[in-house]
Amino acid sequence: MSDKENYDPYESLHKFSLLWEKQINDFIFLLSNNKDYVKASHRGTDLHARFLETFKKNQEALAGALNFPTKNDVTNVANLTLQAEEKMEALEEQIWDLQDSVKSQNKEIESVVEVSKEIIKLTKQLKNELVKTKKELSDTKSLHAELQELKFELLKLNNFKQEFETIKDLIKEEKSAEPVLTGTASGN
Amino acid sequence: MAADSPLTEFIPTLDFDKEMQRWANVINVLSEPEPEVGQTPRNEIWRKNKSVLWHYPAKQKKYEIPLFFVYSLFNKPYILDIAPKASVIEGLTNMGYEVYLLDWGSPGYEDKKIGIDTYIEKYLRTAVKRVIRHSGAEEITLIGYCLGGTIASIYASIAEEPIKNLIVATVPIDFQPFMGPDKWAEGFRAGDIKFERFIDTYGIIPPKLVEGMFRAIGAPIYFTNYTNLLHRAHDSKYVDKWRRMNKWTLDQVPFAGEAYRQLARDLFKENKLVKGEMMVGNKVVDLKNIKANLFVVSGSRDNLILEEQSKPIMDLASSKDKTYITVEAGHVSLALTGLFAKIVHQWASSRSNPL
Repeated sequence: MSDKENYDPYESLHKFSLLWEKQINDFIFLLSNNKDYVKASHRGTDLHARFLETFKKNQEALAGALNFPTKNDVTNVANLTLQAEEKMEALEEQIWDLQDSVKSQNKEIESVVEVSKEIIKLTKQLKNELVKTKKELSDTKSLHAELQELKFELLKLNNFKQEFETIKDLIKEEKSAEPVLTGTASGN
Repeated sequence: MAADSPLTEFIPTLDFDKEMQRWANVINVLSEPEPEVGQTPRNEIWRKNKSVLWHYPAKQKKYEIPLFFVYSLFNKPYILDIAPKASVIEGLTNMGYEVYLLDWGSPGYEDKKIGIDTYIEKYLRTAVKRVIRHSGAEEITLIGYCLGGTIASIYASIAEEPIKNLIVATVPIDFQPFMGPDKWAEGFRAGDIKFERFIDTYGIIPPKLVEGMFRAIGAPIYFTNYTNLLHRAHDSKYVDKWRRMNKWTLDQVPFAGEAYRQLARDLFKENKLVKGEMMVGNKVVDLKNIKANLFVVSGSRDNLILEEQSKPIMDLASSKDKTYITVEAGHVSLALTGLFAKIVHQWASSRSNPL
């Protein structure tokens, strides 16, 4: 008994149902896969649609007379809501564009500020250098004045030298023109 | 004596515990409230009409480029976040992706004039702009599933927004091959059957008709899901998965009339997407304008979208980086099991600017 397999009735049921389902579907396929069925379906759906169309028209007429809203009225209201939604969307997208342009402008401003900072730094440097240069210029000027003075002094010295030379020459000349002593001195 | 009778050999035995568990689970399915879906933490970042754009933050952000999911208009997108540990979105957020999902919502009668072009121009495009703005990324990865893949491909071919990667799964691009009865397709294309009046009258296609349409194409009679549940009801994990799948399958959404008309006329009847004749607004949809890296996934067991319907995008798109794979999965199981997250990660990880 122990090695006897347990019976599962639903397994067989499932296998049979698969078979039946396939057979029924194949039968329906054979029955419906033809032109006549297609044309009959067309007539059926068309008739159904015509009937429903008339029914709807009457319903609309009655609802209009009794002042009842119909699905068409609801559709019109819903479309208005949708239009509002789309306008909001368009506005939101425009706000995005604005945000983007503000962002890009901010970035540009930031870069301009950066450049300005650099310029200010450079200007300060130039200013410092200018002060330095001015100072150097004034130093140079004083040096120039001193040099001028020195030059003048040198000129003076030159003059003095010339005078000195002249005196020297004169002395030399005097020395050469000095009379020879002959002993006629008074003897004092 | 009775125990020794040879007849006992022929009397089947039942596993009593298994049967008790089976029926307890069946009673639970019938009595308990529906399972919770969409449990991955998310924030709403934009809403328009009935559509919502959700953001699922990454657990630990590892990729710069976010993933943006576009799901089909036929079903609800919570199949991508169906259950913890089996959720595609949860898997991707755990892997470090910022994930966004555009939930189209359920259109009402007032949305009857919303066409595929409106969905693309006024909903998808705006949502993509929002995602780019919200994520701060310079590019995105667009992921389309099923008809969402078709919509994503159409959008990618006219998009001005930066799309780096385009991933499409179980996507119908070429509408010439058809899974359903061939005479129906022939009749529809020949104009033997027209839905214009029907669509005009209804405004939106009711969910029951959408469900009926899919049933008619695949299996008009379908009850084996229930016998399968009965057969495997002793397995609590399977029952949980079954309940989630069943909830999603029955939770159809209505389809906006104009979108249905365009889908039927421009895509199914005239196959304009492949021919490059489709128009969105004043733009011609030409798939050769797709230059994003392209990844196409097909399921070998897909009983709704054939591989021949997905493959043409590989030749039509101008992308330099193109990959096509076929995985061992069905149309829904690719998302239901969470397998899609791993497939997306394998391809997208190197193309999503790892941080």
